Amino acid sequence: MFYIQQIQCISPQQTFPQASLDTLLDPVNNKLNVIEPSYDGVPRNALRRMSKSVRIGVGAALPIIKNTGTHIDGIIIGTANGGMEDSIVFLKQVIEFEEGVITPGHFVQSTANATAAQLSLVSANKNYNITHVHRGHAFELALIDAAMQLRENADSNYLVGGVDEISVYNYKLDELDNWYKPAPVTAGNFYTQNTPGSVAGEAAVMLLATNDSANAIAAVIDIVTLHTTDIADVQLALQNILAKHGDTIDIFLSGENGDNRFDTFYTAVENELNNDVTVARFKHICGEYPTATSFALWFACELLSTSHIPAHAVKKQGSSSFKNVLIYNVHKGVQHSFILVRES
Amino acid sequence: MGVISAIGNTVAENHSALINGSCGIGQLQDFPSKYAGELPFAAVKLSTEKLKQILGVTDPSVTRTTLLAMAAFTEAIQDAALAAATLSSLGTALIGASTVGGMCLADELYRDANESYKESPYLSSYDCASVFLYMQKHYQLRGLINTINTACSSSANAIMYGARLIQNGLAIKAIVGGADSLSKFTINGFHALHILSPEICTPFDENRQGLNLGEGAAFLVLEKAEDAAGKKIYAEVKGYCNTTDAFHPSSLSDNGDGPYLAMQGALASAKLHAADIDFINAHGTGTENNDLAESRAMQRIFDHVPPFSSTKSFTGHTLGAAGAIEAVYSILNIINGETHPTLHFNNTIPDTGLTPVTTHQSIKAKHVMSNSFGFGGNCSSLIFSSVS
Repeated sequence: MFYIQQIQCISPQQTFPQASLDTLLDPVNNKLNVIEPSYDGVPRNALRRMSKSVRIGVGAALPIIKNTGTHIDGIIIGTANGGMEDSIVFLKQVIEFEEGVITPGHFVQSTANATAAQLSLVSANKNYNITHVHRGHAFELALIDAAMQLRENADSNYLVGGVDEISVYNYKLDELDNWYKPAPVTAGNFYTQNTPGSVAGEAAVMLLATNDSANAIAAVIDIVTLHTTDIADVQLALQNILAKHGDTIDIFLSGENGDNRFDTFYTAVENELNNDVTVARFKHICGEYPTATSFALWFACELLSTSHIPAHAVKKQGSSSFKNVLIYNVHKGVQHSFILVRES
Repeated sequence: MGVISAIGNTVAENHSALINGSCGIGQLQDFPSKYAGELPFAAVKLSTEKLKQILGVTDPSVTRTTLLAMAAFTEAIQDAALAAATLSSLGTALIGASTVGGMCLADELYRDANESYKESPYLSSYDCASVFLYMQKHYQLRGLINTINTACSSSANAIMYGARLIQNGLAIKAIVGGADSLSKFTINGFHALHILSPEICTPFDENRQGLNLGEGAAFLVLEKAEDAAGKKIYAEVKGYCNTTDAFHPSSLSDNGDGPYLAMQGALASAKLHAADIDFINAHGTGTENNDLAESRAMQRIFDHVPPFSSTKSFTGHTLGAAGAIEAVYSILNIINGETHPTLHFNNTIPDTGLTPVTTHQSIKAKHVMSNSFGFGGNCSSLIFSSVS
């Protein structure tokens, strides 16, 4: 479908600008917060006005914008909670000042398209610009958008990103809604608690998508999204993918998040795959968040380009081949997705 | 097509108000904001309870934005005579847009986020995706579902995304549109930006004082020309373009670069010349900044600016629903061969000398352009054409 020419990731671990994942940081209070870089080249006053998701999105995209040199044909962002923090900060002002005189700063920053808008400003880009916010599919729908754009405009390149932050408020709402574990979790016992809930995460992943295979990091072969609570639908979707692209998966990158309510989906997918498939996991690295599949895609690129899986990520060692990686994720038990990534 | 807005709960009611010049902007009743009695707004004339009753919704987590979306969606799928099996087909996509989503429940969100109110039914209802995730479940949709938020151009981009899914073979049918409801959140946001008009808005008028916020929803059912053969066809999605102004987070550049590029790109995508456009449903919010930038952009594109109008003078600015509502109105222009007036207009902006259409007139409307511009510089322009 398309090639990834560049990819950058600002995450809770050492991933930016170079990755070193052999040792991991544990969650603090069941949150995996990003390690923010110094943002060299971003004016300080502009930085101060940005929310964390906008900061990390811009931070991850800047090296790509710099390296690309020529113009970028579009900016396509997936974010579920972009703007949430500013929304509630603004709302707090509205209610606490009883709708009195308030400044519009947080309101303007609260729009979900703030990251895509900032990227257009920092790169003076007047082309295609869109923000997909469909919660657990926001990043996948951005990838599908890029794939369509590259079919429509063959000689183009698109900056595609997935970004979400842990804000005080979205953490609180999701915590109330039982999406996070109350008991402390470490990287080591992330998957073995056998309790409901996961650990909150956040990250920004930005990539450059083109039709150019020369020197590409990886190819995104297919992206499938579905909404269901029925395992049979997920199994059927997987069978269709394998029938379409060949049953040649080397690595299954599983979105397991330690929430025992959803293990059955991941087990069902694992069981559909050949016995010699290596099963790896990533949410102990980045935590759980709606666009975590963008971190999975970055991790898949890392695996394909280094031919190495950190030991902590291996659930089951199988084939030692590094050609085809299948990412599967389910968000909150309803939004499922598959992303098939191939070596370039 | 389906639409619900301050000027009616159906396409027919909206059409009747547009040709009769019946404005939907006025006093807001029973709304939890101090501005409800001070400023004009354009509310849908059905209470949230009444909407729930009409739609048969009992789930306490469902918000007004979702109910408005469902009202328009229901009309659209009935109009297109989509059977339940077709709705649930893997090839039927739903592409929605919203900017407010469940944040219409501003006080509840504040309470839940600050007071840890565990019993709240709304914990998963505040984001924009909640609207279309609920509809997925309610209507048992199985195709691709998306939620787009590019501020005030959101539902124009939903139409574009749906059309492209069909063209790329990723959907057979796409139900596209958007919904937003009035919220204390947006009311105070636009008020803080000093762009809410104290009077009923007067788009493209020299003395315009800002916009009025509105609410509503609209959906359109799209499919390939060959699949639509033999069915009732209103119009063709002829062209579209999404661009960025790349100027300022909340205002347009003086010359309207983003709007200019969007209109130019839509013409190129439709393989039309500027002179082919018969009518423009302008973004026309009534703010100082938008109407001037949009006028200048129109003058850069068109040697002679075609008849244009802002139906926001009827509906207020419905934010994430505006692109879809105005797409329905543009199609009404085409199928009825008519213009829709800009209400309350008095004086031409001296800088531009452009006067919007102020009456309902018969017109040849083969190609109609619809503009939507949003915060963050997100500009989209759509072109609809008659199929005869």
